[in-house]
Amino acid sequence: MLVQVLLTGVLTGGVYALMVSGLSLIFGVMRVINIAHGAFLVLGAYLSYWLFTLAGVDPILSILVIAPLFYLVGVGVQRGLISRVGGDAGFVVLLTIAVAVSLEGIMGALWQSTVRTVRTDYTSTVLSFTVGTMPLRVPLVRLGGFAASLLILAALYLVLTRTRLGRAIRATIQNPEAAQLVGVNIAKVKATTFGIGLATVAAGGAMFSLIFSFNAGSHVEWISKMLSIIVLGGLGSLPGALIAALLLGAVENLSAVVMTSYISPIVFYLILFLVLVFRPQGLLGTRLRKS
Amino acid sequence: MRRRTTPFLTVVAVLAMLAAACSPAATTTTTGQATTTTGQTTNTTAAPVATTTTEQQAPIKIGASLPLTGRFSEPGSAAKQGYEVWAAMLNEAGGLLGRQVELTIVDNASDQDTAVADYEKLITVDKVDLVVGPFSSFLVIPTSEVAARYGYAFVEPAGGAPDVFNRGLTNLFFAQPARGARQADPLAEYIGSISADQRPKTFAIVSQDDPFTLGVMDRAKELLESGGLTEVFHEVYAPETTDFSALAIQVADLDPDLIIGGTVLEDSIGQIRAYQDAGYQPRAAYFTTGPSLPGPFREALGDKTEGILASISWFPEAATNQNAEFVAKFVEMFGGSAGDVPEDAANAFTVGQVLEQAAVNIGSVDNAALIEELHKGTYDTIVGPLSFDEVGAPQGSFMLLQWQGDTFRIVGPGDRAEVEPIYPKPAW
Repeated sequence: MLVQVLLTGVLTGGVYALMVSGLSLIFGVMRVINIAHGAFLVLGAYLSYWLFTLAGVDPILSILVIAPLFYLVGVGVQRGLISRVGGDAGFVVLLTIAVAVSLEGIMGALWQSTVRTVRTDYTSTVLSFTVGTMPLRVPLVRLGGFAASLLILAALYLVLTRTRLGRAIRATIQNPEAAQLVGVNIAKVKATTFGIGLATVAAGGAMFSLIFSFNAGSHVEWISKMLSIIVLGGLGSLPGALIAALLLGAVENLSAVVMTSYISPIVFYLILFLVLVFRPQGLLGTRLRKS
Repeated sequence: MRRRTTPFLTVVAVLAMLAAACSPAATTTTTGQATTTTGQTTNTTAAPVATTTTEQQAPIKIGASLPLTGRFSEPGSAAKQGYEVWAAMLNEAGGLLGRQVELTIVDNASDQDTAVADYEKLITVDKVDLVVGPFSSFLVIPTSEVAARYGYAFVEPAGGAPDVFNRGLTNLFFAQPARGARQADPLAEYIGSISADQRPKTFAIVSQDDPFTLGVMDRAKELLESGGLTEVFHEVYAPETTDFSALAIQVADLDPDLIIGGTVLEDSIGQIRAYQDAGYQPRAAYFTTGPSLPGPFREALGDKTEGILASISWFPEAATNQNAEFVAKFVEMFGGSAGDVPEDAANAFTVGQVLEQAAVNIGSVDNAALIEELHKGTYDTIVGPLSFDEVGAPQGSFMLLQWQGDTFRIVGPGDRAEVEPIYPKPAW
């Protein structure tokens, strides 16, 4: 049974990774926590839900529509709102809170408070197989979500490591001043990163809509979980976010079985606490340079 | 997780609340059918405008703080609609005691402290004539204390947990057929009616940590165990829980014959999907809230709803006082069809009916006189005749529903059943 629990937890963790990767990336480049990330996640989920119920588009396919859309929204929000309030991180965080509250209001008006979830033909399909004598069950939506998340994260990782844009983003994460000195257009990198960050959360939202149910207010629960994952993984680190997300998925499920489901969130925060005490930069993060 | 968030998120929450409190949209005043969004100044007492011929009487102001956002937003919004339908119908028929009724409904974001502050303000600043209750025991318990302190009658639509009635309050009246915990009674009666060789032998309880659901769970456990069933699993999860897969895998491992979910809605869908994923097929399945909200429940689960049981206080086709008019008016005001009218809206409408009939009986909206009257009278409502004992607990019983095909039908108790229940439950 523990193996089954662990397996389900890790599959869910893969989807968490996709949900938080953009948040980590945005922090890395802009040194700003985007509180609206959870609201954008729910918005992505609603758009998938809409495309599915109105046009019959599968949520995984709907990523092709909503991710580019979110990219444009991200660039727009960064250029039109965030870059205008200047360099004070505190103000930017306040601004993202305002965006989150506004989005919640708009979503509440559009979709009411009824909880929604996407039910496809394969929603309750389960693949069962046996390893040795152990029967295992893998729900198709979680497997699909896990696979799609890994694919998208791999593509993102390649962009970050193999392209000029990726080098510019990583240079900005490591040292913005030095990056600017060698000719990186920081303003453009910031806008692009915010766009990419939202595009990934749109994809995460599409996966999320298949597995979880949500309404406009759900972002409050999820942003705290998402923030915890990226702090655990190391702010700004994509592989760190992936490892932390898988770890959270596994720990959340295992502790629910070994102890009780009531204290499983505590176990996760305990790990977070220990990491912050002994390794404040997170699992794979680098310490912020003090200039 | 709500109690363990970082200080940073607490700041976020406070800011969000401030934003909501400052927003002019936070207060909605309803008179008749017209819903206008106003700032807070319009709610200060205005002298009645005297015309040259007849003196118009000031409207009767009724206040409520409802969870329109946050985890109870679904039932909270339904309750708001129920109150609005009641006020609209009443005003069209000439008002209450010849005066129009004006509702002031504010959003407490499903937060106890906000709800308490809201009722304080409604009574002391807005000086409403009457107050009506919010959704669910969690918010009814603290807010009813506020009403008691100011001597206000507190008729409420959805707080039926044991703790609602054991605090010595005499101003509270629960406008559903029976105490919340008694929702489990028709289930236990039904299980007991199944022939002994077919009857479930084991059961599991998986419940959200909420005063209402836990009250039902305690009562269900007691009744089922005294009926000879054995509990094999009992788990209470935090309200913030979103992933039920680990719980479901444990339940599947023990394979109890009957599963009882103490749920609100979102979690009933989460639990059922997780049970499907884990390959758990019980012989009977019961969830407190969720199956009784047909729209979202069916949308999320499709034909996997077949055979699922729940308790209910009201349904759209019931032949009770004003029910047809209520359903028609609801559809007129909010669209959809009769099947879309939520039970929580009906419970709020019931509150209105009780208050209205009590006020008419005594010819006044004086709260002390109303409290006295409410302990004595019997009120003919859309959930049937209601009367209250000395602590405000209603003296009736719930109905048992079961999903059959694309809707739910009443299967118990015996004298109110529309169709025979399906047993064992088909696979989900």
